[in-house]
Amino acid sequence: SKRLLVNEDEDEEGGTMDTMFVFLYVSACVSACVSACVSACVSACACVQLSVLFLSSFPVGLPSFLRQQGSISVLVTNLSGPHPQCRLEAARCFHELSHSPHREVDPWRLRQATPYLITYLSGQSPKFTELCLYTLANMCPDSENVRELLLVQGVVPALTSCIQIHRYNLAVVEAVAFTFSQLVSANSASGEMIPAVLASGLIPHLLSALTPDPQFGLGPAIECAWCLHYLCCSNVDNGTLVAQGALLQCTSLLVTLGGAVAKGSVMEGLELLIWPLLRCVGNLLLSGPLGALQPHLKDSRLLAALIAFAQVFLRTHPALARESIWVLNNLTADSSVFSSAMLYLNLVPGLIQLLPFSEGINTMVLRVLGNIAHHGREYCVHLAQAGLLSALCATLKMADSEVVTFSLEVLGQLVASDTQLADEFIKQSGLPLLEAIQFNSQETIRIRATHLLEHHLTPLCLVRN
Amino acid sequence: MLQPELIQLLTVNDLVDTSIDTIPKLPVGFSPKGSLFCSFTSHNTEEGEKIPFTFTPHQILLHKDHEFFEDGDIQRHLYLQNLSTYSADDLPNARPCEFRCHISGCSQVFNCVEGYEHHYNTLHRHVCSSCQKSLPSTRLLDIHIQEWHDSLFSILAERQDMYQCLLEGCGLKFRTREQRKDHMINIHKYPSDFRFDKAMRTKKNKTARKNLLQKGTGMEESISKPEGSSYRPEEEESMELQPALDPAAYPADAVEMSTEIPSAPPLSVPIPLTTNQPRSQHNRGMQSHRVPRTVCFGQGSVQGFRGRGRRI
Repeated sequence: SKRLLVNEDEDEEGGTMDTMFVFLYVSACVSACVSACVSACVSACACVQLSVLFLSSFPVGLPSFLRQQGSISVLVTNLSGPHPQCRLEAARCFHELSHSPHREVDPWRLRQATPYLITYLSGQSPKFTELCLYTLANMCPDSENVRELLLVQGVVPALTSCIQIHRYNLAVVEAVAFTFSQLVSANSASGEMIPAVLASGLIPHLLSALTPDPQFGLGPAIECAWCLHYLCCSNVDNGTLVAQGALLQCTSLLVTLGGAVAKGSVMEGLELLIWPLLRCVGNLLLSGPLGALQPHLKDSRLLAALIAFAQVFLRTHPALARESIWVLNNLTADSSVFSSAMLYLNLVPGLIQLLPFSEGINTMVLRVLGNIAHHGREYCVHLAQAGLLSALCATLKMADSEVVTFSLEVLGQLVASDTQLADEFIKQSGLPLLEAIQFNSQETIRIRATHLLEHHLTPLCLVRN
Repeated sequence: MLQPELIQLLTVNDLVDTSIDTIPKLPVGFSPKGSLFCSFTSHNTEEGEKIPFTFTPHQILLHKDHEFFEDGDIQRHLYLQNLSTYSADDLPNARPCEFRCHISGCSQVFNCVEGYEHHYNTLHRHVCSSCQKSLPSTRLLDIHIQEWHDSLFSILAERQDMYQCLLEGCGLKFRTREQRKDHMINIHKYPSDFRFDKAMRTKKNKTARKNLLQKGTGMEESISKPEGSSYRPEEEESMELQPALDPAAYPADAVEMSTEIPSAPPLSVPIPLTTNQPRSQHNRGMQSHRVPRTVCFGQGSVQGFRGRGRRI
């Protein structure tokens, strides 16, 4: 994905005859200008300014500009020259070229600019630096060659230095984080790029920018969070990320956002911040045994926040609700601590409310409930007290075979753990349900139902107490 | 839709202890016959019957391209597509005030603070006080000062590797400038004509030295320095202004960086020359390129000069 620094005066694209004439005239001027520059007859700076106006007003002219021999050299000369205005205009040209949707405008052709764009990242002008950043960032997607070149040209230390210099300028922080996210989100990034980023000292800067500034808005936090997400799910060195505080920071922020959401203040775009944070936490939970991660997971409100996200975003973004429950799965799977907390804080009813909903939500909820049940009898009893048995009676009737299978798994654990639960299930007319399931088209479902009926729900089993 | 209990949990004030350690942990485990996976000794169980239940709790790791993440990725993509930030040269129309560069000798005026900032950072911020060369960053300036204006440097350089790689984070050092340049080209894929790594020209020019002494830069001992030292006082003058003598002499891809042409559109603001530094070169009847004293055109920053040792 590319981003555009839009000059608000210049974003019109005309389609009329007049515009075509102007286009042809201007493009002829630019061509003449460029060739004049190359033979050193005309001020290069004037040429560049004309070019940037042309390119931003008529993006359709970009391929013809590139075809003009020497056009890139002229731009590079101005970009590297000592005149500030020429540098700025040349950078603008490169920015226009970088985000062009034209297939002919290959980012590789712009590579002469990269040493200078990278060098200028250590400069002090915030706006100019932003321009350089978005230009570099736009060159990254779809071009492995460009990314490799940037890596070798030292883009990672330059970006880290940039975010350090401009750490109080949130617009620049946002641009740096976005550029990093473009670099690390490529499929091949785990080879060299991500290790370089992890070693660069960037992580503390990303973490400190995660908390959104109420006045500036969510942008910088969103970019930092997505960058972190790409780093976490690459699984290159999540232990280091945890050690530097990534898990702690992400969970704290989720708790804060959970509080905001619970109060009803869901600002626009908040899901774009919650999404990557969930993914970071979800994957970082596998970076080590949960017991070792305990110091980073002290706040029990995290569980409540995850349920709250699932409920609040259920209608608008069901995928986000699903991912929230996925994090709950990773928390409860191997942890009796979190499973106990779910019961103690009475969060199970909230989960059960989500069972009617498809798109992967109910299967994930059933996983979580199964995780809790597997810890022991006490857990099963508490789950039943929260109303799980009747909820299962509903899910066993659903059409989705995965839902039915998971329901049988959870039910099986419940009724096996305590005969009173089996009794309870029968009282809720569970037996006819299972008998009907014995005619299900899938064998795996049939044999589960049969096993339960034969081993855990026969009168003989119930009598034995 | 949220349970009141849930809301309360999340909006409780900080005085309440929400640590998970305070939550009592339920005892784990099942009674001997109480697990789904224990085989019944009941006569109902057939020999060799396998238990059909397969679910075990486990964490799930998801790669960034997993289909589970697809919807969220689409939202992210839409967000980026729809995002258009403020204009890169946002002019606050309501404010008529001007900004003037306060560096003595540079009287450029700007109508927005960003323009002034960019001008200042490009031309005045990282300026070598010895030779007025302007560099884009603190690091490059430090390296420049060290390599060109530090007598100790040249002494040390005879014995050990002193020429740092220009890239932050690389850390390598080299014995000669040429070795460093080869490293930049071969390892970091920098162009051979990278502007901020150009060799300074050596010039023997009595006029230049005289002007330098008049200027009183404090390098009074420089004249007596032997050839090949790191001091290049004559550079001072040679850098300042190099008018184009012969356009045909330029290679095809070099472009003269003349920034002031009287007929140019407003973008190139004419900057008056200072008078406190004599410039004999100006009177040669060439096309006059008016250059502010604070901008250094030497050391290869004028693109037209690819050759070595241009003599006047």
